[in-house]
Formats: sequence, structure tokens, C-alpha cells
Amino acid sequence: MNEPRTITALRHVVLLLFVAIAVWPILDVVSISLRPGDRLRSTEWELIPENWTLDSYRELFTEQPFLRWLGNSLLVSAAVTAFGVVLASMGGYAFSRFQFVGRQTMMLSILTTQMFPATMLLLPLYIMIAKLGLINTFWGLSIFYVSTALPFCIWQMKGFYDTIPVSLEEAAKIDGCSQFDAFTKVILPVAKPGLVITALFSFMTAWSEYIVAAQVLQDREMFTLPLGIKSFQSSMSTQWGLYAAASILVSIPVVLVFMGLSRYLVSGMTLGAVKE
Amino acid sequence: MLLAVLQRIVKMLTRVQSGNSMLFLGMLTLLVGCGKQDSRQVVTLWHQMRPADRAVLESRLEVYEQQNPEIDVRALYKENEELRSGLESAVLVGAGPDIVYGPWDTLGVYNEIGAVQDMTPWFPSEVQQEFDPRTLAILPDKENPSLRKLYFVGDRFGNHLALVYNRNLLKEPPQTTDELIVAAKANTVDETGDGRPDRFGIVWNYTEPFFVIPFLTGHGAWVFANDAPGDGRSEVRPVPELDTPQAIAAYQFVADLKTKYHVLPISADYNVARELFLSGKAAMLIDGDWSWQDYVSAEEIDAAIAPLPIVSSTGLPMKPMVSPKGYSLSIAAQGKRAEEAMQLIRFLTDTPTQLAFLEQQKIIPSRMSLRDHPLLKQDPTLITSFAQTQNGRLMPLVTEMRAVWDAMKPPYQSLMSGNISAADATRQMQQSADRKIAALTGSVRPGVTAPLLPFAGFALLLALLVWQRHRLVEFFRDLRRNRLAYAFALPSLLAIFLVVVFPLVFNVALSFSNMSLQNFRDWEIVGFHNYASIFFGDQAAKFWGVFFKTIFWTAINVSLHVSIGVLLAVVINGPIRGKAIYRLLLIIPWAVPAYITALTWRGMFDYQFGVVNQGILAINHYLPAMLHLPILDWLNLPNPAFAACIIANVWLGFPFMMVIALGGLQGIPQELYEAARIDRATRWQQFWNITLPMLKPVLIPAVTLGAIWTFNNLNVVWLVSNGGEPSDQTHILVSYVYKAVFNLYQYGYGAALSMVIFLMLLVFSIFFLHKTQATEGVH
Repeated sequence: MNEPRTITALRHVVLLLFVAIAVWPILDVVSISLRPGDRLRSTEWELIPENWTLDSYRELFTEQPFLRWLGNSLLVSAAVTAFGVVLASMGGYAFSRFQFVGRQTMMLSILTTQMFPATMLLLPLYIMIAKLGLINTFWGLSIFYVSTALPFCIWQMKGFYDTIPVSLEEAAKIDGCSQFDAFTKVILPVAKPGLVITALFSFMTAWSEYIVAAQVLQDREMFTLPLGIKSFQSSMSTQWGLYAAASILVSIPVVLVFMGLSRYLVSGMTLGAVKE
Repeated sequence: MLLAVLQRIVKMLTRVQSGNSMLFLGMLTLLVGCGKQDSRQVVTLWHQMRPADRAVLESRLEVYEQQNPEIDVRALYKENEELRSGLESAVLVGAGPDIVYGPWDTLGVYNEIGAVQDMTPWFPSEVQQEFDPRTLAILPDKENPSLRKLYFVGDRFGNHLALVYNRNLLKEPPQTTDELIVAAKANTVDETGDGRPDRFGIVWNYTEPFFVIPFLTGHGAWVFANDAPGDGRSEVRPVPELDTPQAIAAYQFVADLKTKYHVLPISADYNVARELFLSGKAAMLIDGDWSWQDYVSAEEIDAAIAPLPIVSSTGLPMKPMVSPKGYSLSIAAQGKRAEEAMQLIRFLTDTPTQLAFLEQQKIIPSRMSLRDHPLLKQDPTLITSFAQTQNGRLMPLVTEMRAVWDAMKPPYQSLMSGNISAADATRQMQQSADRKIAALTGSVRPGVTAPLLPFAGFALLLALLVWQRHRLVEFFRDLRRNRLAYAFALPSLLAIFLVVVFPLVFNVALSFSNMSLQNFRDWEIVGFHNYASIFFGDQAAKFWGVFFKTIFWTAINVSLHVSIGVLLAVVINGPIRGKAIYRLLLIIPWAVPAYITALTWRGMFDYQFGVVNQGILAINHYLPAMLHLPILDWLNLPNPAFAACIIANVWLGFPFMMVIALGGLQGIPQELYEAARIDRATRWQQFWNITLPMLKPVLIPAVTLGAIWTFNNLNVVWLVSNGGEPSDQTHILVSYVYKAVFNLYQYGYGAALSMVIFLMLLVFSIFFLHKTQATEGVH
């Protein structure tokens, strides 16, 4: 498909503008991570400071248990992503395709769990986790993350299924598929963009959270990445170099995950398989 | 395939679990008697030592473990506030560390909630005598006030401010404030000739009232009227005294430095002040003992430490607040654990450990025997430091101190941004301190409705069941008929509700309770008191102000998130090159953790060095004078500061909406557009009639939840505005709740406020979802 040149140029202009806006503050973070002497602010803007150094990065890998934290975070995030995608793809399907008693109430009630300010629930959450003996386990943390990520994921999946014509399953059923088979073999493949968003969202929920993690994990070896990064913070003497360097490194896996998943966001999957 | 992945992950998680239980088994075997490497007795220590001190602590702990091979010390660093709230929660379930190391001022709270226990058996009075008395906290027992208990043993003394000056710019430090003004004026220079000084006479963090204390003492003022309880030895509660002629004179002096003598930068928080001094752009700095090593060893400047000057108008020296830091024994440590914990505390407060801190970190020891150490007589920094501590004023060890800090901060900030006079500031401080102390020390008794409430709750639940009984019956009938649907939906519902039910119910109960500092462990249901004080209390007017601001905040953020997100998705979804790169770069604000980018945004809005104002200057350069954009002191004016929060939050949130919209675009059949082109529909018509309606099902959940999240987004407001600056005028409801709960321990009030937030969001969601029919399915 061809477009007039002006439109293409306009697209690039808009995108370049927003790329600049998106990237600019990150350059600041990069600059802080290269600065010696833990200096958050600078009076002169420069991406590469005069006496730049990679010491912060080196220290993360040699003197700090950064790789350990990375492993912990990957484990927790992978678990949350897997559970999130499986549960939400099923739950969303039920809400999109079935008419059953309590459907509307359930849909609304899962939203309500997001409406409480999370900081207020910390104290009871801690009491519960402690009573269940889940302090210092990844289980305690993962279960909490799954339950935080699910409401959005279910709603999101439901929204995606809604855009898929019912005729697709009906056609499959005529061909002898059960409803379950129709779901796994016909609907799921078409719902890939939705699954990708669900996966990305679940991953990010687990990847960037630290408030609950600080309550659950009380051993430096068990820390997830955000907790590790927060441990560089200290009233009026934060290790800004480590803090910034770790923040940059933390975002790399996210970018990689996004890169891996994003081809499903643009595949231009056509839904014209069934003529209505 | 998904299931296989799931299986593997479950296995991995279980392996981690079993690793832990192995450790646990190992510990058991130790108890039986066959000691092995990983089966040592564990002593846990939570501390908040600064990075440089941590290294010393770790090396000392290694020595300790070598001397005591049967002990495994687990030291965990926690940031100040996190340590405090972590210990508070732990106390409620009897868990937590054996030892806490922290500042003096949180001890009052620990004592109040019963988090710490008496250490006298291990530190009898003859041992206590070896310490500087100002580094021990001996407090009356809560039940029996005639009993004195040792709750805190300091390992250092100081935490005090002094004057740091750059010898490249200033030969001699000023002895008096008159000299200080002269020296500061001489060093405030506009080098570039743009009408704004680039070098300043003096800087300090003037967002925190801790830094204004020396000015108060130098003018003969203090924060409490009766100082006797300062060491916690008396039962008389302290009375705040913030509105005195001396205090007004002190604040007037500070404000004059900025508005009359123009020797202070327009805005300076801790990091800006530090950076100005380190880069040689400030001749003098007021900073604490924790930072001096940094300055003295910095290469670009030639820094030295001097005592704070004498105030010329009164002849009094500026006295900083001084306090010890030290160890307390947590109530979690009982029996043998207490014994082992105390052995470690004795080691960590003993002479060799304090000597290590003195030699490596120039920390003033709490042991009197070390006060004659040659270093304290030779090292120039230590000489000044020690003299300054002897000339300091001990921070009162009372819970009221926190309310006083809280009360001082907003008016102080208003004063410094020139919005109110010194007299108004002190008046506001006094009023606010009185109110906050009443809230902090008050204890609400159960009202008449209290005994009925649990029954009322029960009755309500029962009524609901009776009312909905037909639907319940239907539900159980349907359960059999619609098996697949329930099998699909119920696992998620269980996963969600099993986790949140207890916290939610607990929160509801808390909202009717009197849980606060005074009733932390023995809280009870008191009735509607908290709700009444939200809507009819003396802060009710403020509540509505914050409420409408929150609505504005939510509306503007969500609409910008969605419109930018959809715009970018549509633009990127066209036939252009470099899609993958664009996509990747555009999600970066989502990928990089907000806890750092929010801080860089704060830096970008800095008045003098921020890129925003520099950008405006650059643009103005090309504009005729009448079109010049204003240079704003973003972070110190209420509306611009709030705008800064919004801009940062829009930046953080648009990539997420873009990804959602991109996903949604993939589901739109191309045939629709082809048909539209045949009908000669314009691009705009195509967007409006095909794209948007087709995106709706995908966008609605994101918009609904986006609104809920934005409404409750504590992080961005907190980080960009540094906790509500200026003067608590940038709060949205959650940050307002957060402050009430965590600064003044009003758990009941906070829970009630969060219930109100919950109900508001519930009403909004029902209304919005009904309007958009989002709960409808496709059948």
C-alpha cells in the first residue's frame, strides 16, 4: 500500500519528536550512571561527563550480588507471566463468550480489588504472609503479583476476544471441534496480540514492584532487582552511580522481552478468515 | 506449550523452596547437636548505616563471626522509613529482627508501640557509665513509670551540621553572621552576565527544617518550651514552642539571605546544594557530619569544615541539633536469641568497633575512653566536629518531634519561596504542631455505635444473601450447566480473592478503629469517628480541595495517555521504515524504572539547571520579547509543581497505552479500510468510523483501570514533588493518606480514607462501565 509522501514524512516527524521526548530523560540516567562520586544533579548538561567511568557498572557485577538479584527477578517474573497468561486467557474467554450467573458481578468485583490504595493494604498483607509462613519465599511474592496483575489481564483478554467474531468458533464446531478445542486451536492463535500484552503486563508487574517485595523478602540474597536497587538509596547519601547504572541494566531485559514479543503486535493478523 | 512452561516454573519455584527447607533442616540438626557450616545460630540485624559505614560494619561482623563460629549474623540494610515501618509491622506478628540499629528519634516510637526491650541486664549501670550519657536512652516503663529501662545504646554521637567552605573561594571561615553575609555577598557572582548569578555565597538544603535549627538556636529559639524531657527521663510531655519573637527573628534572617542579600540560589534541595558546592559554585555549605569526608576528599574543590558562626544580633552561637545512633533489642529476640543478640550488641558498641569507625569514618565515639583519642585532637575535621557536638543541642527523644518536623516543613518552604512572612510562618507552624501532636498523642475511646458495628456488618451481609437468594440458587444450578465457563473463570477469581480478601476485611475493620500510635497493638472498634473526621473534622475543607485536584489529575493524565498512545499507535502502524526501532525507543519510558526517571524529571524542572527552563530560554531567544515564555520556579510554586508531576506522569504512561492500542489495531480487518476507500472516505473519517470503534473493546479496560491506577498513583507525585512540596500543595488523595498514616501513625484514619477512595472509584467504574457496556460479552 502506498501513501502520499507528505503523510509518510508526517509520520516520521511525529515519531521522531516523541522518540526525543521518550529518550531524553533516560540520557540523564545514563549520564548519572557514568558520573563518578555519586552525583545526582549536575550544573552542566552533558551526556558523557568529563571524567566518566564505568565503575558503577563494574561494581554491580563484581561487588554487588546483581546477578543473583537478576536471577531472582527473572524467576519471579517468569512465574507471574506464565500464571498470568494461562489464567487470564481462560478467564477472559469465559467472560467474553459465556452467559452465566454472576458474570457481571464477578467482572466488576475483580476490578474492585484494584481500587484500594495499595499502601494501605501493606500492613494486613504482611500479617497474612507472615502467618502463612511465606516471608522470604518467592511463592508469597509471586502469588501476590499474579493476583495484582490478573484483573487487568482478564479484562484485557476479554476485550480482545470480543473483537474476534463468534463465527470463527462456530465454523470450528461445525468441523467437529469441541468448545475447548475451538478455544485452544482457533481462538488463542488469533488472540496473540492480546496474549502478548497480557504477558508484557504480568512481566512488568513483577519486574518493577518493590513495596510489597520489601515486606516479603528480608534477606539480601533473596532480593529482586528493584529491592536491590532501592538498597542503594539512603537518606542524604544515596549511591547514585549504582542506582542509575542498575536502573539502566534493569530495563534491558524489558526491552528484550518486548523485542521478542512485539512481532506479534504487528503481524497484521487478518481476521478475514471467515466471511461474515 | 504454555502448560509445559508453567510446569517447569513450578518446579523451579519448588526447588528454591526445598533449598530453604534444607536450610531449615540444617538448623534443626544444629539444635540437636551436630553443628555444621550452614547450621549456625542466626542473629538478624536491621540497620540503616550509610554506604561507607556499612563497609566498616561488615568487616567488624566478619571478625565477630570468626570469634564466634557458631553464630551467623544476617545484617540487612533498610532505608530509614522502611526500617521503621518494617519493624512496626513485624511487631504485630511477633516477628522481625533481633537487633535494630537506627537513629535516636525513631526510638520514641519503638518504645511507644512496644517494639524494643530492656537491655539493663546486659548493660548494668557500671557499664553504662563508660558511655556518654547522651548516647543512652533510659525511658520509664510504660506500665510502671517508676521503672527505668535501657532501650538504646549508642555507638556514636553527632549527626550534626557544621559549615563547610571552599578554600579556593574563601580564605577564612566567617566567625559571625555579619561576616558570613559579607563573605557570601562577595562570592555571589554572575559570571556569564545573563542577569542570574551562577555562583552563590552560601547554600543548604532549605526544604528540610532540620537545617534551619542552628539559625533558631543562634537567635535564642528552640522547638519545645520545656526541654527537660529531651532525654526521655521525664514523664512531662513536651510543649511545642515555635511562634516566639526569637523564632520570627531567626526565620526573618534566613529569608533575608535569599530575598534581601540575594546570596542563596532560587531553589535548593539536598542534591542541588551538594552539587553546587562540589562543582565550586557555592563558597559555603551547611551540611552534616555524614557528608564531610566526601567534600574534603573532592578534587575540584578545597573544602574544610568550620564551626557554625555566632549570630551577630544576639551574640549566641548557632547550635546544631545533635543525636546519637545506636542499637536496640527487638522484642522478637527472646530467651537464647536475646542472649546472643546482646552479645553482638556488646561487641558492636565495644571499644575496638568504635575505634574502627573513628579511624575509618571519623565518627565520634560514644565511649568516653575513646574521647581522648589522639585523632580527636589532631585531625582538623574531627577537631571541629567534636567542638560542634559539644556546642550542639540534643535532639529531644520524644514522639512529638516528628509532629514538629511535619508542622515546620510546609510554612518554612512557603517562607523560602517568598509567599508568607516570617511571622505568618511561625504562627502556622505553632497551630499545625498543636493539631498534629493532638492527633499523635490522642486516643479515641469507643463511641456508642462501636458495639453494634460488628452486628450491623453481619446483618448487612445476611440481608444481602437473603435479597440475592434467588440468584444464589440460580448460581448453583448454573454451576452444573455451564461447567466450562466456570472452570475457566473460577481459577482466576480464586487467585485474586484469596490474596485480597483478608487485607480488605482487615482494612474495613481498621477504618472503624482507633489504631494509632497510642493504640497500636491494642486497637479496638470505635465507630464512625474516622469517617466523621474526614468529612466534618477541621481538615475537611482540605480533603475536598485535594479530592477535586485528584479528579483533575486523573482526567488530564488518562486523556493524555490515551490520546498520545492512540496517536502514536496509528502513526507507527502505517507503511513506514524503521517501525521496530521506533517501537522499541517509544516504550523506553515504560521499561526504565519510574523510581529513577521520576527523580530525573525533578532535576529537569530545577529552576536554574533544569533542562526545561534552559529550553524555554533557548526558545525565547528566537521569539520577540512580547511572546517570551515565562521562566518558572517549577518545583517551588504550587501549580507549576503539580504540572511538573502531571508532565512526568504522562511521559511515564503513554507507552503502555500505545502498546495496548497497537495490539488493538492488529484486530481490525483490513477489508473495512478497503471498503471505506472504495467509498472515498477520508483518512479522518476512516479513523473516526473504523479505527476508534474497533479499538473500543480493547481500550475500555485500559482506560478504566488506567483511571483507577492514576487516581491511586502515589509514586510519581511523591517522587517528583518530594513528598508534596512545596508546602503540601501538590498532594492527591493517596499521597495525602500516605502522609497521614506514615507520618502521624493514624492507621484508622488512613483506612477510612482509603475506604472513601474505594467507594468513589467503585461508583465511577460502575457508571463508566455501564455507559460503555464493557461488561457485555459476545455470545
